[in-house]
Amino acid sequence: MEVKSYNLLNVGVGGQGVIRAAQILSYAALLDDYKVRTAETHGMAQRGGSVASYLRFGTEVEGPLIPRGKTNTILAFEASEAVRIFNYAGPETVFLINESIIVPPMIHQMGMDYPKLTEIRTFLKEVSVHLYFIEGVEIATSVGNVRTMNVVMLGALIGLDVIPLKKETLEKAILSYLPSKLHDINKKAFEIGIEKGIELRGGSID
Amino acid sequence: MIRPEFAEENPGKKIIMLGNEAIARGILEAGVVIGAGYPGTPSSEILLTLAEMQKFYPHLKLEWSVNEKVGFEVAYGGSMSNVRSVAVMKHVGVNVASDAFMTACYAGARGGMVLISADDPNCYSSQNEQDNRYFGLHALVPVFEPSTPQEAKDMIKYAFDFSEEYQSLVLFRTTTRLNHGRADVILGEVKVIDRDYGFDWDRSRWVCLPSHSRVLRLRLLERLEEISNYADEFPFNSLKLSGKKINGIKYGFVAAGVPYSQLLDALNYYGIADKVSILKLGLVFPPPKELIKKLFAYSDEIVVVEELEPFLENIMKQIAFEEGYSKELTIHGKDIFPQNGEFSGEIYLENIARLIGLSYKKVSVPENILIIPPRLPILCPGCGHRSTFYAINQVEKMMKTKFVNSSDIGCYTLAVYKPLEGIDTEVCMGGSIGLANGIAKVQSLDNPVLAILGDSTFFHSGIPALINAVFNKNNMLVVILDNRSTSMTGFQDNPGTGITITNEPGTHIVLEDLVKGCGVSPEKIWVEDAYKLNETIEKLEEAVKTEGVRVFISRHLCSLVESNQFRAQQIITPSILVDQEKCNGCLICVNKFGCQALNFNEVYKNVTIESSECRGCKVCIDVCPQHAIYEEIE
Ligand SMILES: Cc1ncc(C[n+]2csc(CCOP(=O)(O)OP(=O)(O)O)c2C)c(N)n1
Ligand code: SF4
Ligand code: SF4
Repeated sequence: MEVKSYNLLNVGVGGQGVIRAAQILSYAALLDDYKVRTAETHGMAQRGGSVASYLRFGTEVEGPLIPRGKTNTILAFEASEAVRIFNYAGPETVFLINESIIVPPMIHQMGMDYPKLTEIRTFLKEVSVHLYFIEGVEIATSVGNVRTMNVVMLGALIGLDVIPLKKETLEKAILSYLPSKLHDINKKAFEIGIEKGIELRGGSID
Repeated sequence: MIRPEFAEENPGKKIIMLGNEAIARGILEAGVVIGAGYPGTPSSEILLTLAEMQKFYPHLKLEWSVNEKVGFEVAYGGSMSNVRSVAVMKHVGVNVASDAFMTACYAGARGGMVLISADDPNCYSSQNEQDNRYFGLHALVPVFEPSTPQEAKDMIKYAFDFSEEYQSLVLFRTTTRLNHGRADVILGEVKVIDRDYGFDWDRSRWVCLPSHSRVLRLRLLERLEEISNYADEFPFNSLKLSGKKINGIKYGFVAAGVPYSQLLDALNYYGIADKVSILKLGLVFPPPKELIKKLFAYSDEIVVVEELEPFLENIMKQIAFEEGYSKELTIHGKDIFPQNGEFSGEIYLENIARLIGLSYKKVSVPENILIIPPRLPILCPGCGHRSTFYAINQVEKMMKTKFVNSSDIGCYTLAVYKPLEGIDTEVCMGGSIGLANGIAKVQSLDNPVLAILGDSTFFHSGIPALINAVFNKNNMLVVILDNRSTSMTGFQDNPGTGITITNEPGTHIVLEDLVKGCGVSPEKIWVEDAYKLNETIEKLEEAVKTEGVRVFISRHLCSLVESNQFRAQQIITPSILVDQEKCNGCLICVNKFGCQALNFNEVYKNVTIESSECRGCKVCIDVCPQHAIYEEIE
């Protein structure tokens, strides 16, 4: 695949595996012979804070940062985090969002409300029509390990056909970061994610 | 032992590397022997990666030093002894090391010597965003700055050859996006240097007393002159001349580091990369004068693209003035680009468009923006810092007064937020005790002065300040939060654990003995397990009410480290529950203590414990006035 530059923004909450996803995706992009750049949140913010990783690959990428409005795909492991960075999206941006919401501690005590999923949907529809939600946690749990949520989401990227990476390379990259005893369950999570992505692509947006 | 890819002997292989891994790889390839420093985001992975490599390259001698000054000196001692050496730290660490650095630059390098400064525009994990390129200008040594991980690897390797050739120290400056960004990198060959090592007893060089230093300074100036003359040939500088015009104007861009890469993206975006001249600097100080003059000759307007201070801009203006260009040539910099923060992608697009007269359409934003409350980093469930601050707050309440809680940098800084709101100052590492010395001199006795800091921070720079307090009788209560870890920066060991960076046994320093050695009298030292809340409150009250310089050591292993250990050893932690009959909904546990495993359910108006989050520390049992929280015994 000849791609000049592909920009993916992956967001989530500290501890959800955003950095691991950046590792996996950049390795897969390398295997597919692209030039790769990422920029990631490390350090203090990981302690339950918002994390973001920028991933860029293609034949014409130099720096790691994505300008606002120029993101091809936003992959959100937590739904409200997709709203936080919404201005990185343009009308063509595809959102793939895990439906779960992690409410930060102390929000209610500080007299603040945290948005609900319906509000998030309504808002993001104004930003882009390419909006896909996925019950990542439920699917991962049904596969047998809630920690496969990221892999389900990566599978869905392939199923949706929104990332110019080969299915085989992405699977290889995923497995390379896991001990062999976890390979089977993650292969399964990846396949189910792909199916889910295909289903979403065919289905309409509510 | 699985050999990580970054430690392979496999020249030519292309792998993905984090910027810091690429820097470590370059250090390995250069044949460096000594690596020392102190943890600090975004620099920490450099020495950690080298420590991984050390398993396969035992010639590497690495350490976490007690602070950056010592780390720098360790490396410089290596350079004096003719081995290649590197000191690694975050930008503010260079402030700590600067006393040694400024004079070491006079005496220069014997074995190649590089100081890595990891700067942090936007203060992602720092107390300031100082621009350390000025340290090179200040110390009269060259400053290298890479723009990609590949270049970082190649450039730092070259830096050691350079350092030996010119007998000069090299300041290697990076920024967060380079340190914490991944890219494809091609491995090079690992060099092991075979030469005579050891000290050389060259007193005229290593003894920097005035009569020697005057001579050394002349040599320093000569070296800088030589390096200046070489700057035009520096292999990581490049000049691309165009001479074409955009809207009648010939533009010449100047950039270095990550902004150079981002600038290329922006120019490509507008399709004007071939219509402008670009001077890319790998050596940001001293400047390559001939290249700059050529750029000037091809340009009507110069655009310097740099984050933070107008460092290169001022150099350009100076050269333009010296070369008599001042009138004909416009030099842009901070008139166009901000002087604060990191440049996000659109900053390049917007400002270049504005300058050149291109159209840049901002993305349209929906009318009603859905506001998402901030997700602030917080103390973990089971964090001993939480219970210590809760205890301090309780004592403060019992004594019906307000403490001055002079504090410091570490995970515990997060106690500034609700509900603990337990710290009143944070300036620099070790500053808690230092500031408390001054505050105690004038504060009314009604407001006890506390200095609250972590174990690693105490070892780093709290010790001299404590001795100062004892010596000068500046009365205070020093609370050392001894979680046996340097947690904020990634759980590095420190003298209090006695384990070295390569996981070997070092010597464990006993905090109680250490503070005694600083002159604190033994009856003014208290030690308690941070998880024993009632005992902590009782002893703390006594400590606050005692006069003189006192030390309270609140000890419990960092909960994140402990829970990982428990998981590895398959130890099951106690299961903690809330008795719904007894809970009267006072919400003290949620509103005043605030462990995030405690959930207030808005529908049922009761508190429950999220078992997947709970670490079983049992502190909330003591927090609950209704005795509604209990441990389930099977
Ligand atoms: C001069 C300097 N060096 C390094 C750092 C980075 N840094 C921030 S907090 C910290 C240490 C924290 O360790 P500790 O005091 O033990 O507290 P903990 O995080 O374990 O609670 C370090 C090294 C810094 N801010 N300033
Ligand atoms: S990492 Fe350790 S010290 Fe830091 S907040 Fe978590 S438990 Fe506390
Ligand atoms: S025992 Fe209580 S304070 Fe400790 S982690 Fe569990 S809920 Fe939090």
